[in-house]
Amino acid sequence: MKLLFVSKLTRSARAISTIAQYSRAAREMGHEVAIFGEKQLDFPELEFSLKVGGFDVAVFVVYMPSDFPDLPYLARLLDGMPKGRRVIIDCTGRYNETIRVEHDFNHLEKMDGHQGWEWIEAFQSVADRILQPTLAPRRDDVQSFLFHGYDPSGVARGDVSAAQAARRWSDTRRYGAAYVGHNWQRWTQMRRFLEAIAPMRERLGMTTLVGWDWKRRPDWAVELGIKGADVDPELLERFGVETRDPIPFSEVRSFLGAARFSPIFQRPLFNELGLASNRIFETFLADTVPLVMVPDALATAICGPAVRPLVCGTDIAQRLEEVLRNPEPYWDAVVRVREHLATHHSYRQRLTELVALLER
Amino acid sequence: MNILFVMERRVNAGSIQALANYMRVSKEFGYAIALYGPPDPRFREIECSIDAAAFDYVIFIFESKLNWPSGLQLAHLLTTVPRSRRVILDADGMFNPIVSLDGYDRNHASEGDRQHWLAAYAALADRVVQPSLWPCDPRVQPLLFYGYDPAACTRQANGKRVDIMHVAHNWWRWRDVSERLLPAMERVRGDLGKISFVGLWWDRPPAWAADIGQQEAFCVDPGRFRDLQIEVRPAVPYREVIATMSTARVNIMTQRPLFRRLGLVTSKYFELFAADTIPLVLLEPAHAELIYGPAGREVALSDDIGGKLIDALEHPKKYRDVVHAIRQHLTAHHSYKRRLQELIVTLDHVDGQAASAK
Repeated sequence: MKLLFVSKLTRSARAISTIAQYSRAAREMGHEVAIFGEKQLDFPELEFSLKVGGFDVAVFVVYMPSDFPDLPYLARLLDGMPKGRRVIIDCTGRYNETIRVEHDFNHLEKMDGHQGWEWIEAFQSVADRILQPTLAPRRDDVQSFLFHGYDPSGVARGDVSAAQAARRWSDTRRYGAAYVGHNWQRWTQMRRFLEAIAPMRERLGMTTLVGWDWKRRPDWAVELGIKGADVDPELLERFGVETRDPIPFSEVRSFLGAARFSPIFQRPLFNELGLASNRIFETFLADTVPLVMVPDALATAICGPAVRPLVCGTDIAQRLEEVLRNPEPYWDAVVRVREHLATHHSYRQRLTELVALLER
Repeated sequence: MNILFVMERRVNAGSIQALANYMRVSKEFGYAIALYGPPDPRFREIECSIDAAAFDYVIFIFESKLNWPSGLQLAHLLTTVPRSRRVILDADGMFNPIVSLDGYDRNHASEGDRQHWLAAYAALADRVVQPSLWPCDPRVQPLLFYGYDPAACTRQANGKRVDIMHVAHNWWRWRDVSERLLPAMERVRGDLGKISFVGLWWDRPPAWAADIGQQEAFCVDPGRFRDLQIEVRPAVPYREVIATMSTARVNIMTQRPLFRRLGLVTSKYFELFAADTIPLVLLEPAHAELIYGPAGREVALSDDIGGKLIDALEHPKKYRDVVHAIRQHLTAHHSYKRRLQELIVTLDHVDGQAASAK
């Protein structure tokens, strides 16, 4: 099948990693994947095309309004591909009634000017099929499709047993904990995490946060009165937390491997809707112990029951102490989760699911 | 006939004033005219609609920015409204060859930029109308679009607080202002009272000017204003423009050079004559006559600008008669009633053409 993905790409955000994996898996499996648009030199690993007629399906991967192309491209795309052969992957639950969780929303009218009905109308206008990366979509006219996946061949130093991994892991690392992700609707969770590990930070090592807006609350958030990018620079300084600019998706795995622990946070909205993000899968590729901070039910549904030792509840510090004292059972959990992800969530499998779904 | 306009919503610029007038006169004809989108408290008198399918035509108003429509809105409109019912109003003359004036004002920075615009228009609609007195491209349908509302004419009972006023944003205007207006004012400054420039970016360029590569468009030297004791005031919303102009004895209209070259008409051409003021326009007399009738020559600022300013201030009766004549001309030839009829004819005409072609 020839799939034309439609999305605004950036090397350090949203679905770039996932789309790159579909491109790779498609080549291996005899399918074809391209991104709609002019060739972008920033993405040498991807094919680009404007020849809409040469593809079987257009797959819109939507996070924000700008994922719909500008003129003239959008008009050409809609003219060239019938509605029945367009599908939308709604990565952030836009295609729902307006939902608020803490200060997270699926419709961010203050930021993008769009009310909920606009998302619903636009999606219904563009495609007959709307998919969401959740196991439990709320609307009857949405199909479940996890979209993101796992690349078994991408595991860093994965050819060892849990015991070997645990021994190697106990060696010195540059960071005690590393989080790669943007400061968007995550501060409440991050603060709780940092406060929990603060008493042990001397032993644990430095924590680093990599992504947009960790250094300070951005001006636009202050101007618009948006709390989703809150951060407390004084707290970060007090706890000796390093902040770094975003890194490209291709460097995430190796960067996380420089840390003993890597927490997996999701936006409160994602946890509420059961939406999966790429980070759940990607963190298990790195040579690090993932600290799974998403709801237990979501973590177990995706990662399998073996993930439970890695799911942190309120006992974050105690859990880290246990892992530091006796890492092997936790590395055993990591190895088992990797096996589960390879069996159930590989990109080959995901692409097969997508093709089957589109052929239905 | 029902017409839906799709445009960038700006309260102190663009075509919103024209839209309010079309809505007002459309009721007399039994037409429905609306702005696409949800109601907006900034535009109380503007009817809004999200039901694009309920309209016979959708008119996209493009100015100097191509990608203002959100992808969400476009996706909905493009899939709901057939191409045959979409029309583009090319307000800033982007649907033209590259026009670059003395390396200063221009419609496109490069041929690539122009081709991108043309491709966008071609992808969106078959029909392009331009508010031009002399369209350059034979594919364009002329439609002045902006018009005059005789009922909006105001009488300012109170005394004038300003002698000379200029209501417009500093967008490609600095060259005319700095090289023609200010030197003329300087020569007669002692005979002039208060001078006001009302609008955006006369105090400083916007922070994002460099980001869009258009620093020249916002060029300004606030020191020149200070030296001439010219006050700079913030922009006013569209519904306050006429009242604001009416606080001055004389109002000057300048237009960016590109618009003059392309014969593009704007709301300001007509608002100026609804205000209780003496309008003077920085146009060649022949250009002014074309839009304002023979009396238009009398309000053209071309030679001896300083002398003309003094003359207007010293002989208001003479200019009131000129303004009266021009208002009559505008009522006869450029009222919004007439403009609406022209719009309907234009839309019907193109529809008829399409039917014949089929």
